Amino acid sequence: MMLLTHVVPSSPTIKKPGRLKTRSARGDMCPRVRRCLEGVSLWLAVLLFLFVQPLYAEASETGREGTGEFHFLDDAGQRQGSATLLNTDYRVSVSGLIADTRLRQSFRNTSQQWREGVFVFPLPENASVYGMTLIAGEREIVGRIHEKQEAKRQYTQAREEGRKAASVDQQRPNLFTTRMANIPPGETITVELHYQQAVRYQSGEFELRLPTTLTPRYMPGQAVDNRPAQWAGGWAMPTTDVPDADQISPFTVLPEEVGPGSHRATIALTINAGLPVSRVSSPSHRISSTWSGNAVEVSPESDAVLMDRDLVVRWSPARGMEPSAAVFHEQWQGEDYLLALVVPGLSRDQRLPRELVFVIDTSGSMAGESIRQARQALSRGLATLGPDDRFNVIQFNSQTHALFMEPVPANANNIARARRYVQGLDANGGTEIASALDAALDDRHSDGGEGSARVRQVVFVTDGSVGNEAALFRKINNQLGRSRLFTVGIGSAPNMHFMREAARYGRGTYTAISDLSDVERPLDELFAKMESPVLTDISVSWPGQAAAMEAFPSRIGDLFLGEPMVQVVRGLPGEGELEVSGRLPDGSQWQQLLPVDQAAPGKGLHRHWAKQKIDSLMDRGLDGSIDDDTRAAVTDLGLKHQLMTKYTSFLAQEKTSSRGEDETLATDSIPTLLPAGSQGTMLRYPQTATLSPLFIAIGLVGLMFSAAITLLQRRVFP
Amino acid sequence: MNRLILLLVTTFGTVLAVGLWIPLKAIAAQELLELAWAESQARQQQTRPWPWADTWPVARLTIPETGQSLIVLDGAHGESLAFGPGQVLGNDDRAGPVVIAGHRDTHFRGLQHLKTGSRVRLQSRDGDWRIFQVDRIRIVDSRHERIDTAKLPQNSLLLVTCYPFNGLENNGPLRYVVEATADSMVTAGEADNVGIGEAVAGT
Repeated sequence: MMLLTHVVPSSPTIKKPGRLKTRSARGDMCPRVRRCLEGVSLWLAVLLFLFVQPLYAEASETGREGTGEFHFLDDAGQRQGSATLLNTDYRVSVSGLIADTRLRQSFRNTSQQWREGVFVFPLPENASVYGMTLIAGEREIVGRIHEKQEAKRQYTQAREEGRKAASVDQQRPNLFTTRMANIPPGETITVELHYQQAVRYQSGEFELRLPTTLTPRYMPGQAVDNRPAQWAGGWAMPTTDVPDADQISPFTVLPEEVGPGSHRATIALTINAGLPVSRVSSPSHRISSTWSGNAVEVSPESDAVLMDRDLVVRWSPARGMEPSAAVFHEQWQGEDYLLALVVPGLSRDQRLPRELVFVIDTSGSMAGESIRQARQALSRGLATLGPDDRFNVIQFNSQTHALFMEPVPANANNIARARRYVQGLDANGGTEIASALDAALDDRHSDGGEGSARVRQVVFVTDGSVGNEAALFRKINNQLGRSRLFTVGIGSAPNMHFMREAARYGRGTYTAISDLSDVERPLDELFAKMESPVLTDISVSWPGQAAAMEAFPSRIGDLFLGEPMVQVVRGLPGEGELEVSGRLPDGSQWQQLLPVDQAAPGKGLHRHWAKQKIDSLMDRGLDGSIDDDTRAAVTDLGLKHQLMTKYTSFLAQEKTSSRGEDETLATDSIPTLLPAGSQGTMLRYPQTATLSPLFIAIGLVGLMFSAAITLLQRRVFP
Repeated sequence: MNRLILLLVTTFGTVLAVGLWIPLKAIAAQELLELAWAESQARQQQTRPWPWADTWPVARLTIPETGQSLIVLDGAHGESLAFGPGQVLGNDDRAGPVVIAGHRDTHFRGLQHLKTGSRVRLQSRDGDWRIFQVDRIRIVDSRHERIDTAKLPQNSLLLVTCYPFNGLENNGPLRYVVEATADSMVTAGEADNVGIGEAVAGT
């Protein structure tokens, strides 16, 4: 570089004196001015080369940079992420309490090379996946369920041999991975999934949630390998607490960073609730609905919605038609399955003094819209406190911090202080939920005699974006004591699996907020629930009580206002009367009878039952590793009911090879979209250069150019 | 013709002046910020350098290698970076990692002289100095990498600027990242005794 600066500018320096001489010989009108100009242009030339030199430097340095570093670029310098475009199509049909969904993921390869697409995607937290088909052009290959390792082995083999293959694995109950090998250049391959889920019914309203993206999760623990650059790449490295961190952390990008038209979903729902539906609404999207008889067709107003938030659809029965009980029946492979729903009619006139602990997640993943929602949720919660209640506010990110040393009386002074504290909360840092749970569930401070009469309730406001869920459930299970845990899910794509299970272990309920304008209604419902009496010690006795009968959930938790009791049972014929009983807070008995022989026909109940059974088996694994018997039982259930589980995966593969031996295969990790309104913990590098060098360079070149013209002009027209 | 030339000269002269104005402003602003920093240290509260500023000094960064002593402003938006390096991440109570970004053409031009093992010092508002040692210098492509704030060690400091240093492009993708870890802390009192504060401020 130094050579350039010195040698090149020297050439004009040599030439110019020559010119000078010739011109002065011709005798000009104003030689001094000209000489002066020439001198100036000479200096400008030297300066110019000083500034041109960096250009060369830039060119040579960009070529050298980055050897041995992982890049999301292929050899041609094209960004790999945009080579495979992804589009999805959801067709949901709801019948009664079960929603059945056909999900199509289309991978379009826009490059000139054969591709393998890897896509990590969310499904509803209670989804049971029971079917998979690979569609390539006209051909349809039906996927089979395999033991997970076997599926992986066959998939790898098919990929190496150039056969088209697709596999779908479960990473978490609500997080899955599709792998699609050998997508030919310019073609589209579709993976079709079938799954069903139970519709949530509470407070007289049905709710269905279709997640389309995930909030990047925080991975606690130390890195397993000793690479120092933990924060760098798009994929998290495995840690001691989350050994599969690299499997569940896709690169999260903004919508404008994916290829054109990629990451769009078309959605259509058919709701056949079995009763007249009066109103369909969605807090997350603008939807249009058309009625035909009892069925309602629902779809978002825009054809293709961006996959950056969960779609939530709610529908309510016509006034006066709210069901208080329902029974469904299905026969599958010679076995009877029954699903019962009972809504206890609780009155809300009793009110007990409470001790409320609000816990708010202020980790980096909450930054943006989420922290605003959370702040509003907390303010709302503070407003429900009565004069004889006690409360505390705890925030956590990498550290936990409590506003008061111990719960304080809810007087105006304390509440005002809490409000100020809440308004000042900011989101950054990690998500160390464990220490926050310790602080929240620790009830040593509640004073003996008077305090023990209080109901102790913990409201946990978070997006649940952590990778070590199982360890946290274990903690809740062990330390709960007499507290009750209520989770409030925040953001465009909260981890609903965490919300639901944490509330289940915490013997409370869960609520999700998806929109800042939608904060009040769900929270008012939640706080109304928390203030109302609870139905406890619930027992369900089915007619006959056959030995072969298996009911799930086997033990019914406490029921809050507006919440139904739902149980699914195998091995009972549909006859007799079902009896549900429980105890009200004042000690009196509550009882309801339900004739089973009027059961409506249901679909997919056996899968719902199997899924519940698998969940209950997997719960045993919380207190340590899962033993071989459980693993075998889960695998058997998965194979029998054709369900995807932690140990069984779907695989579809071609018989013949379609990729030539000389063609290479590149792997695309398809990113997910950053949930709407979220900033994520991934900080973007700021813009750190000014236009100054460019302006200086342009200015100098321009001035030199002008000087040259001036000289030329003087010479031509003396 | 003469008019045309005059027009050209004025145009390019203006462009040159604008180009030179940016570094000039950067130098001049630091002088003003010194006052604001002294005031915020004296009063222990956020002090805006001029009434309409949307940022305020949060720290002082010194790089002995280049003899620079810079006042760091809050935030890394275009407005604050024009006057001084901006603190993207970090808080007053010195808990957690600190990320500071600066323009490669002005304040952070000197980063290219830092080497592994070099030291940089950061003074917070209460006058305490923290000394960081450079562990690693990396060049990253900002299109494909982000800073995962949750994964940064608690006692780390990142200095970010654009790369290459002589580049003309003002929105290039490459970033020069200096990663440093705190190895000691000197309180305000000690600093006076040892003379760090004076030595640094005098450079």
